Amino acid sequence: MKDQKDRLTLNRREFIKFGAGGMAALVVGAKMPWILDNEAFAAAPVQSLNFTITDAIKDMATHNTINPAQCYFWVYKEATLPFEVPGPHIFTTEGTIVNITITNSLEQPHAFFIPGLFDSGPIAPGQTVVKRFGARTAGTYLYYDNLNDPVNRVMGLHGAFIVMPKAPKRGHKFTPYSSPTPGVQALFDDFGTAQWWPGLAWEQGATNPEARPTPPFRQYIWLLHQASPVLFREVGSLPAGEIMESAEFVQKFLHDAFVPTRETNNIPNYFTISGQSGHFAHNTPYICPNLRVGEPCVIRLLNAGLWTHSMHIHANHVYITSIKGVVQENPIWVDVFNIEPLDTVEYVNPYMRPPDVPNERGIGRADAPRTTLNGGPTWPPNEELAMLIPSAPAGLAVQLSPLCYPMHDHSEPSQTSQGGNYNMGMISGMNFIGDRGVAGPGSSFPNQPLIDPPGPGPGVFMPAVPPPWFD
Amino acid sequence: MAFQNTPNHIDRQPVVGALFDESNEFVKMFDPPTASPVLPERMTPTNPVPEVMAAVGVGRLPAPANTVHRQLLARLPKPTWDGVKNIQFFVFTDPDLLGGFSAPQYPAATIRVPRGVIFHGQTTGNPPPHTIHWHGIEPTPLNDGVGHCSMEIGSYLYQWQPNFIGTYFYHCHRNTVQHFEFGLFGLLIIEPPDTYFASVVGANFQNQTLPATITLNNIPVGACSDGLRRTAANTTAFPQFPGFISGDPIFGVTGPGGVGVGDPRAFTVPYDVEAIWVLDDRDSIWSDLAPNEFTTFPTHGAIPGDNDQFNNRPGANGFFAFNDFNADYWFVTGVPVPAHKGETETIDPAGAPPRGGGLPGGLIPAALNSGVSGSQIAINATVGQTILVRCLDAAYNKTRITFPVDVVIIAWDGRALGVPPFGRYNHAFLLPANTPITTSTARRFDGLIRATTPVNSFAKVEFLETRGDDITVTARIPIVIS
Repeated sequence: MKDQKDRLTLNRREFIKFGAGGMAALVVGAKMPWILDNEAFAAAPVQSLNFTITDAIKDMATHNTINPAQCYFWVYKEATLPFEVPGPHIFTTEGTIVNITITNSLEQPHAFFIPGLFDSGPIAPGQTVVKRFGARTAGTYLYYDNLNDPVNRVMGLHGAFIVMPKAPKRGHKFTPYSSPTPGVQALFDDFGTAQWWPGLAWEQGATNPEARPTPPFRQYIWLLHQASPVLFREVGSLPAGEIMESAEFVQKFLHDAFVPTRETNNIPNYFTISGQSGHFAHNTPYICPNLRVGEPCVIRLLNAGLWTHSMHIHANHVYITSIKGVVQENPIWVDVFNIEPLDTVEYVNPYMRPPDVPNERGIGRADAPRTTLNGGPTWPPNEELAMLIPSAPAGLAVQLSPLCYPMHDHSEPSQTSQGGNYNMGMISGMNFIGDRGVAGPGSSFPNQPLIDPPGPGPGVFMPAVPPPWFD
Repeated sequence: MAFQNTPNHIDRQPVVGALFDESNEFVKMFDPPTASPVLPERMTPTNPVPEVMAAVGVGRLPAPANTVHRQLLARLPKPTWDGVKNIQFFVFTDPDLLGGFSAPQYPAATIRVPRGVIFHGQTTGNPPPHTIHWHGIEPTPLNDGVGHCSMEIGSYLYQWQPNFIGTYFYHCHRNTVQHFEFGLFGLLIIEPPDTYFASVVGANFQNQTLPATITLNNIPVGACSDGLRRTAANTTAFPQFPGFISGDPIFGVTGPGGVGVGDPRAFTVPYDVEAIWVLDDRDSIWSDLAPNEFTTFPTHGAIPGDNDQFNNRPGANGFFAFNDFNADYWFVTGVPVPAHKGETETIDPAGAPPRGGGLPGGLIPAALNSGVSGSQIAINATVGQTILVRCLDAAYNKTRITFPVDVVIIAWDGRALGVPPFGRYNHAFLLPANTPITTSTARRFDGLIRATTPVNSFAKVEFLETRGDDITVTARIPIVIS
């Protein structure tokens, strides 16, 4: 434990206070200790979901005392959580019955819809509905308001609903799927077992000597959205009971006439991942994975907006295991993949050592490092990990540890905020905090991220344990 | 409730809180430091390509040895094909090239590197800041060239060792939204490990050494030691492509049991003709209103998170609209598509004089291709030849490509399908003639074609809006197989 004095100098890679930068999450139904132990999700268990459909004004990434940057949204507000857009991540297990109460406090009909799982139907202004549904099939789902499609969804009424499988296929390791294809099953079976994937299986956590535990079932949610402050304000200002026709909304959102100055037309100005942009997405361990070499994770992407994004991840190629709920027969291994409006896409990130760091054979394997001119190893890159940039230790220097890499939309207009301000847009990343294959101190690089879990106090971690249905 | 009366507010996350201060990282995200650090974990470079290019006569002998140079940025105003205006391009230049090719070129010269060598790329950003990101290559963060994760140059010697054969590209990762769009990129191709060494008398690809004096033999530059140009693939299911060399069924390119290194050509397939398609689009309004490479650069304030300048350096007419891209000119590997929005036109066939500037319609000069001769844009081949198409979507559009012939897709993003062990979960697949394949910004695919009867047709390339699916333009790339 660091003492309070040290704490004052910590930065975000080292310290995230629960609730300050986290994407709130809820777990419905059966106990799922694997997620309660995963610091990436500040997940609280609930027996039922209780939503109010309402609105809020949000300060966006570039908002400050001299630069207003706000946007109006419609919001799925859960009773136990603060206002946020998107709505909370919701996790449950295949077969769980979900109880849900929804109140519409806005001035036009709204709904709560999960493709293939649930449809509340229209909820009139002021009305409350109480419903239940079954989480039948494991996968990644967008929950959203499907009325006046796509207006209500794009205005902010959306979130991620994740169903985990109950059990792996007999004789195999866990995948995120009820019915994995042979290729996807082989990939998950090989993690932690095959010579070329040393480290942990996906279902496997670890207690790490002198470092925080590694959770099992590592997974991250990148829920993509585009926000137009001008258009959302116009929709939110319509007289009670009036709606904007979807064709007009789509035309303005996608094709409004070009205006060079910022925030004067209806084109989106803010591009978010799980509600955050720029620094607030990339340097938040709730959104950006901070893992070791040999700790594979699943990344679930959802696109709630109307633009197509072309997501590029640095440092590792990822396997595309599912597109629109279809587990892939041919999981290709790529560094970019496109995600269209309403798509869900799942990646498996192997978290292998960045393969093009010089190594013995140069064929992408977990080989011994090469020797540098200074006599040290090329991996771990100890000289680089020790560097400060700018080099002066004072001022705005950042140490190059843990190893930091971005993931961003390569269709780059989304990398902006308010029409410019590059790198304050749709960006996340992957960081390496160590290497499971390196003995001793190299297994954990300097500046380990520390995320306070929900619970009794800062810096208290429960040990990682497998889920109860794991045998 | 509505906009006028909502009482609800969502605060921006704090940059400085009661128990933490993340202002350093917050600032670094949008205003990274310019630095010129000494390369850590430095090794001796072993990339033979600059020396071979000098021996071919297209480049100077590199100093220091085995080192590739790239300068950025140079400005290249290019007249549009219709003569309406000039579009400003930003490009990389290679000061080592001879024959006038060190002058600004769009796209920049292709970098080829054999798998397994130590690559050194010496770069200066003038004026700073810039970076080079070697897209798809996965080195340490300093060598990955992303400012907020390391630094912006300044000057720097990039170092990495390519581990996977395939198609990549390099580009500036500073204000990428503008610099990539304005042309700061070039193709990067990882070749089999014995290429380039194989063309030099007395060279040894296994210990990656060249003799003091380079004498070329009769193996074409870019070919393997068997005299054939090859790329990574597993075409076991597609025997129509002759010359495929298999390897260990579990461990791939290693020796048996995963030990050592096997045949350098294991899991490669030969090709006779290489076509390079870099699909690109430009928004000439951005060029008109934001010709300065530092447009819309934010700077941090005295109190990060509180008074940072997020409305800095607008372009002409107050330009602050890098979120609003509207393509109106299109290119295939620098060759203009002579079409306006909504139209369908054919790019110049092989050998035709270029319209509106750019590379000749047919062949890519060896100087711009790491010494390799004969690479094509529009395809001109003969029946029975194996044609390799390398396709990069460098546009801010999606692209939908329809071939008039069967194509076997052998790789995406520099990862050959079906090559064990990492490719054991996937496989090469047939894209039947007249079946579209859709790709998006920065994705690359490699496809093989082998026609048994003559073809005189086109590949249809539709550029699709990422905002909606409207077709902005349709380019036709001639494919003539006689």
